[in-house]
Amino acid sequence: MRELMDSYDVVVVGAGPGGSMASYASAKNGVKTLLIEKSQEIGEPVRCAEAIPSIEEFGIKPSPEFVRNIIKGGILFSPSGKKVVVTQGKAQGFVVERKIFDKYLAVRAGRAGAKIAVKSTVVGLERDGDYWNVIVEFLGEEYVVKTKIVIAADGVESNVAEYAGLKAKKKPLDICSCAEYEMTNVELFDKNMMEFYFGNDVAKGGYAWIFPKGETANVGLGVRDKKKKAIDYLEEFIENSLASDKLKNATPVEFKVGGAPVSGPIEKTYADGILVVGDAAGQISPLTGGGIYLAMDCGLMAGEVASKSIKSNNWSEDVLKEYEKLWKEKHYEYLLNHLKYRKILEKLSDDELDALAEALGDNLDGIDLKKFVKRIITKKPSLLKYFKDLI
Amino acid sequence: MVKVNYKRCGYCGACVGVCENLAINLIEHIVVIDEKKCSDCNLCVIVCPLNALEGEK
Ligand SMILES: Cc1cc2nc3c(=O)[nH]c(=O)nc-3n(C[C@H](O)[C@H](O)[C@H](O)COP(=O)(O)OP(=O)(O)OC[C@H]3O[C@@H](n4cnc5c(N)ncnc54)[C@H](O)[C@@H]3O)c2cc1C
Ligand code: SF4
Ligand code: SF4
Repeated sequence: MRELMDSYDVVVVGAGPGGSMASYASAKNGVKTLLIEKSQEIGEPVRCAEAIPSIEEFGIKPSPEFVRNIIKGGILFSPSGKKVVVTQGKAQGFVVERKIFDKYLAVRAGRAGAKIAVKSTVVGLERDGDYWNVIVEFLGEEYVVKTKIVIAADGVESNVAEYAGLKAKKKPLDICSCAEYEMTNVELFDKNMMEFYFGNDVAKGGYAWIFPKGETANVGLGVRDKKKKAIDYLEEFIENSLASDKLKNATPVEFKVGGAPVSGPIEKTYADGILVVGDAAGQISPLTGGGIYLAMDCGLMAGEVASKSIKSNNWSEDVLKEYEKLWKEKHYEYLLNHLKYRKILEKLSDDELDALAEALGDNLDGIDLKKFVKRIITKKPSLLKYFKDLI
Repeated sequence: MVKVNYKRCGYCGACVGVCENLAINLIEHIVVIDEKKCSDCNLCVIVCPLNALEGEK
């Protein structure tokens, strides 16, 4: 591939939402950019439940090309079946076809001027003065691509940041192990509401979901458990749970598996000539496992900072640290808060989860944490011990 | 060394994400474990959603 025989200012590894947005920003600013993806089809295999909040802030129209459904809120189910309906004013989200959406984002980067190498795996980085030699395998041949900056957007695998000496690997229980069937003929409570099921038997350390996607729905779950596997929880969820009745006529059209790194951001997301974005950087909600929006937003910031530093002819860590400052200003508090809530939720027994749902009432509009916690502890003082740190 | 059951593997990359020795590579759809780098810590076995990895006992 001729793309691999050139040298670049910025090489982005991984054409997920993070990498494609980073490449877009970098190329649009006139910097010579290469995006490298190891799959032969960008967007495949899908490892996702495909729900995203608004994307208009990126200047991307929610086109029917990839939007499959509009989402108006969620319904939470406690282990015994108590329902809590959660909305956020008129806020809407979407369920998308990830393989089309991811490819759309890559095409958008290409149209902004980024070169793209597919079926090409980055297998190492070597420091060469102020440059990186990126070692790439394509069709069994090894290529060496010279670049000033590497943006590691390689998702949960996180090898690339480690090649550069940063710590990006996660502990097994810091990753939510997920399995999912996309199914048709799912009976839904409401075709525009996502369903979330909680309980230690349903999905220990995580939750099960049904996300309506138009003619299909993503039925899956994520767990953090040393003993029982996600796939076994999933078969049980379908066969024998609160949702079984509504799934009795459902049948799969796709199978998806994945790991969501849900323990907050990694220690450091920059060094000389390298930035880390998206799942690799732990920029994903530890509570919901939602990471598409964060990967896109932080990817954009990484691409902006990288191209600016190329133009100023200084891509040392002193300049690149601007990236971490920017994403932390916008998202750090959110990530740490979600980590805190998750740590509370995972301590609750099924009875306590039921009590929590009871205390929350039937409807929540917006998640105003202070009000939320006050409501819980006035109604269920027994839960105070878990929530007191939040007040 | 950890064995991969290719018939069970869903090529999701979760195992790669926990291997601190960088012994695992997911080359497109194929998990490749480097025997020389693997320390038999079995962390990858825990995270696999499909029970596709079998550790050394
Ligand atoms: C089951 C499941 C359900 C989820 N549901 C949702 C959801 O509903 N909503 C949501 O917002 N988030 C969800 N997430 C999280 C979301 O999928 C991720 O946060 C998001 O994809 C992160 O984007 P990214 O660009 O960082 O990485 P990815 O999308 O993982 O992209 C990384 C890319 O890098 C490539 N790559 C990796 N290593 C190399 C290499 N060495 N060389 C070349 N290419 C490489 C990979 O092939 C991949 O294409 C879910 C995750 C899972 C596992
Ligand atoms: S975690 Fe399991 S299913 Fe996923 S790639 Fe590794 S061996 Fe395959
Ligand atoms: S056993 Fe440990 S060192 Fe070996 S491949 Fe698995 S995670 Fe890596």
